[in-house]
Amino acid sequence: MMPEKQAEVVKPTAKYRSQFRIYVDIMSVIQRENNQAKPTRILYGANLSHDRLIKYLEELKALDVIQESGTEDKTYALTQKGIEFMNNFRRVESFASAFGFKI
Amino acid sequence: MEFIAFVIAIAIANEALKGYRLSKEKTLLYLNISFVLIGAGLLVDGLASFIVLVSGVRRGFLYPFAVGYSIYFVAQLLAYGLLVYAYIHQARSLTGPTLLAAAPILFFERNAFTELILIFLLVYIATQTGINYSMNKTSNSMLVFGAFVSLVIAHVFFLIFIVAPIFFPLAHIAQLVGFLLLLAMLVRVNKPS
Repeated sequence: MMPEKQAEVVKPTAKYRSQFRIYVDIMSVIQRENNQAKPTRILYGANLSHDRLIKYLEELKALDVIQESGTEDKTYALTQKGIEFMNNFRRVESFASAFGFKI
Repeated sequence: MEFIAFVIAIAIANEALKGYRLSKEKTLLYLNISFVLIGAGLLVDGLASFIVLVSGVRRGFLYPFAVGYSIYFVAQLLAYGLLVYAYIHQARSLTGPTLLAAAPILFFERNAFTELILIFLLVYIATQTGINYSMNKTSNSMLVFGAFVSLVIAHVFFLIFIVAPIFFPLAHIAQLVGFLLLLAMLVRVNKPS
């Protein structure tokens, strides 16, 4: 007798992302878009919901690492502080990666 | 040689601390503490050897040499133990008691058995960095892998130098090569792109 088909167990494939990692992902997307990124691009690039994106963009603006421009058609760019942060992050990421650690 | 290795170990610890301050990633804190411990051990061992060399190898002056090496040995056990914990921690979350389980190794005296524990820990770390290199294929991960392989070789030489004294200077050279490879990685990481 054939066994009944069991219900598929959906395992989560995405790992938990820390707030720090989400900040970095958002800033990476902005950098990738030649430092002029529209919210939709960031939303898809950083894999975030609209509500969470708005929340994180506000936090990053408060940290003075990104700046908003435009009224109707908003774009986001990294500030000098944001560019310096990303440079430091790339260096730390490269260092940690040499030892096999992920950050 | 110990003083050069000490400076490199502190430079690695400093880079790991900067990384921890930026990312709050615990594995970088473990890396920092490990290299601070290795650096402190190297400094104490280097100073003790220096005192013995300056004062001439007389019976009374061999005591600081033994004490210095013992401190270095304990520092290495803790440091490499912590690095192993960091690799395991990255793979899966462990609780505090797992780390505490390693505490009894502190009370071992220096002998071939304890040296074997160090080699065992270093082989584990070298394997992890080797796996990382096989996946990343970057020059930096190759340098770190090479560094830990050199440190394994150094400790194997420290183990067998009783049989053939020639292995004692060879062990120090292998240890220095290991730290120089770590320095090369650090220079590459900080090189402006």
